[in-house]
Amino acid sequence: MTGQPEGCGAPAGGVAVTENSSGEAIIEGTVSAGGAPVQVGYARLLNDGGEFVAEVPLGSDGGFRFFAAPGTWTVRVLAPRGARAEETVSADRGHTTTLAVSVTAPGS
Amino acid sequence: MSRSDVLVDADWVEAHRGDPGVVLVEVDEDTTAYDKGHIANAVKLDWKKDLQDPVRRDFVDKHGFEELLSDRGISNDDLVILYGGNNNWFAAYAYWYFRLYGHAGVKLLDGGRKKWELDSRDLVTEVVQRPRTSYHAADPDTSIRAFRDEVIASIGQRNLVDVRSPDEFSGKLLAPAHLPQEQAQRAGHIPTARNVPWSKAANDDGTFKSDDDLRKLYGDQAGLDFGKDTIAYCRIGERSAHTWFVLHELLGQRGVKNYDGSWTEYGSLVGVPIELGEGR
Repeated sequence: MTGQPEGCGAPAGGVAVTENSSGEAIIEGTVSAGGAPVQVGYARLLNDGGEFVAEVPLGSDGGFRFFAAPGTWTVRVLAPRGARAEETVSADRGHTTTLAVSVTAPGS
Repeated sequence: MSRSDVLVDADWVEAHRGDPGVVLVEVDEDTTAYDKGHIANAVKLDWKKDLQDPVRRDFVDKHGFEELLSDRGISNDDLVILYGGNNNWFAAYAYWYFRLYGHAGVKLLDGGRKKWELDSRDLVTEVVQRPRTSYHAADPDTSIRAFRDEVIASIGQRNLVDVRSPDEFSGKLLAPAHLPQEQAQRAGHIPTARNVPWSKAANDDGTFKSDDDLRKLYGDQAGLDFGKDTIAYCRIGERSAHTWFVLHELLGQRGVKNYDGSWTEYGSLVGVPIELGEGR
């Protein structure tokens, strides 16, 4: 956990947890490649058994958001040319877990 | 029925999207996706605005469907290729709908918008205007649509397939995790339902798994009795349309219905049985 996340909400490759007033267990973040937002791609949420729970297209800022439940979750990112990334995080009610995910295409 | 009767791949679309008599249709929940870029020549259907009745909880009636397709320039004889986001959930829902109203030539683009994007294929923003048609729909074919009383009567009698995620099935979540969780109805699932999440039928890129894998998934692993009729449901009927497509169109099972009222209806009914926790 970091104090005041800067820029996109989390340090590159890191995780930040802040409180939210909605009471939702939010997992959100941004995806970048070489420092630039990945605008075409998908983030999917898997539960602690590795089962698919949800998937969203990335926003124009490379962003994604999930409303989860308390527990451990995995975020898997799919981007063009086979680029992949995976991060495991925990979520809790009233907290927003913010991820900065960086992807690299194979052979790039 | 073979796969090529109900599915096309992206190469086929690249080769045939300009053919007369072929109409590409993007169907989304979030139609800003189409506005930001779509496959050239595709027209748009808005799952909520175009396909749902604006007042009652139901989908548009026969006349509404005729008006919609006439307005989009789709003829009875056209081959309609549906695709969309969310791994083709809403495209599969629209497919079910086209079948319900008797449209003969309709197929899904395997993998939908996601595979197209992950392949880095071209998307355009130009909107095509097709000349208006006079579309005639058939009466709705309710042999593929289940209603609530039939679902309740099917507990312990037919295959009930709950295609939501394991956490929605068990009652941990009330909605898919990309949506807020504020729904008021009860959580859980219909007793005797088997949980076969729709996602198990698809590869990571959104394409459907092979027929052999699908038969194993629903037969050996989930224990569905293929000799019995089946009702599929989810939260609002779009993911279960995806599973209906797999069972009815890809695997050729007869007697498969989509319960589009799904959990948002069932989980709000007074007095019906609900089961919590993992399935058996």
